[in-house]
Amino acid sequence: MALVELKRVAKTYQGQSGPVHGLTDVDLTINRGEFLCVVGPSGCGKTTLLNVIAGFEAPTGGEVLVNDVRVSGPSPSRFVIFQEPALYPWLNVFQNVVFGLRMAGVEPAVQHAKGMELLETVHLARFANAWVTELSGGMKQRVALARALAMDPDVLLMDEPFAALDAQTRDMLHEAVEEVWQATGKTIVFVTHNVREAVRLGTRVILMAAQGGGILREYPIDLPRNRYLEDLEVVTIASKIRDDLRREVLRGAEDGGGDGR
Amino acid sequence: MAGDQRRDRFRRGAVRTAFLLLLICIWQGLSSAGIWNEIIFPAPREVVLALASGFGDGTLPAAVLASLVRLGIGYGISLAIGIPLGLLLGRIRLLDDTVGSLAIGLQALPSICWLPLAVLWFGLSEAAMQFVIIMGSLMAVTLTVRDGVRTIPTLYLRAAPILGATGWRFYRYVLFPASFPSVVTGAKLGWTFAWRSLMAAELLYVTSGIGSTLMTGRELHDMALVVAAMLIIVGIGLITDRLLFRMGEEFVHRRWGVG
Repeated sequence: MALVELKRVAKTYQGQSGPVHGLTDVDLTINRGEFLCVVGPSGCGKTTLLNVIAGFEAPTGGEVLVNDVRVSGPSPSRFVIFQEPALYPWLNVFQNVVFGLRMAGVEPAVQHAKGMELLETVHLARFANAWVTELSGGMKQRVALARALAMDPDVLLMDEPFAALDAQTRDMLHEAVEEVWQATGKTIVFVTHNVREAVRLGTRVILMAAQGGGILREYPIDLPRNRYLEDLEVVTIASKIRDDLRREVLRGAEDGGGDGR
Repeated sequence: MAGDQRRDRFRRGAVRTAFLLLLICIWQGLSSAGIWNEIIFPAPREVVLALASGFGDGTLPAAVLASLVRLGIGYGISLAIGIPLGLLLGRIRLLDDTVGSLAIGLQALPSICWLPLAVLWFGLSEAAMQFVIIMGSLMAVTLTVRDGVRTIPTLYLRAAPILGATGWRFYRYVLFPASFPSVVTGAKLGWTFAWRSLMAAELLYVTSGIGSTLMTGRELHDMALVVAAMLIIVGIGLITDRLLFRMGEEFVHRRWGVG
């Protein structure tokens, strides 16, 4: 069942030397409960794709529908987890997690129950009263995950959330996200430049073309859970995607592609 | 590490105290040398006596209290207007192009320049002095907060609408706390300006207040009282800086990790 639908979505920026294509006629359907990973050469428009679904940027052509409703701006129902955790340093961990509930006017008792439950989910209950500056990068991203789940969004949009973390921390966060996805059945759109990460997590991987050319190819991933980055199947599929990606990067470079958006 | 730090702090304290003592010795030496008449150059002893008698009969504490109350009102109004105004200027381009550029212009005007108008509009009154204090400190508070708003990390602001913080909630729960470090800086700067403006305003006419004490000393040719009042003014400045704003800055540094 379709949750998110992109219909001929285009995004053009006014560059200094004429228009720059961020996205060109992207048609994409994301089903409920899907874990969709988006990979592509840098400047292919994968972050633009996410921003358009989030409502941070308006498409210059086509439309984005979520639950058959046209997206017209940011909303808690399409929650974004950024590469930087973007937690509020003037609040402690618990207050960060329930911030959205507080904004929605949820009763304090309910906030408390929900907040503690979510901190349990991401294994940070004993850091409820810690300040954000006291946490490591991985812990911050887990708080950001709990904060996102508190909003109970229709779709969780993740923009290279683990790119700045070390390998061990990233492994643990892959497990955390997988666990959350299995437990809640949330729809997740996960943008990454790491192909193996995409194969390890996703139910489907899409490869985007260089310079906002749109979706180049799709790869359904039918591997059993739980997966590991080192699994032979993961590595095999990833290397195939990486070959396609490399060809695309070279093609983009030949087309005179610099570092367009 | 901690020991080193403590020793360093102790040494700096000792250096400062020694320097202060040296200044007092030079002062005593100059006045003992009798180069200047004692009426225009009071000895340290005279100043201490003036302080003692002022505190003894309660005139100095009363003057300090009157000044602080006056300052509290004027400065309080400056903060109450300046902080929200700064937040709005940092967010709304149209407002910044109009009111913001006006504030930058007025910032260039020393507050004492408002005295003639203040006297015309409000007479020789409390209101005139309040007006000068407010005009002296409001722009500094407003513009510092405005600049602070502009340096808030973009992600804090991007996260706001998806957390449901829109409308007034955005200002109250995201923009204000996110710009809090600059609110503290602005409050500190505003306090300095307010204090200076107040001292200028109190020279205007005979009233209660520590600035007025200074004026009274001049009229009575009591230079010991003048110097005593100056010392108190310096003392209050240092104490508020150390107690109030240092605490605020340390809090910001701990929580926000900046400032």
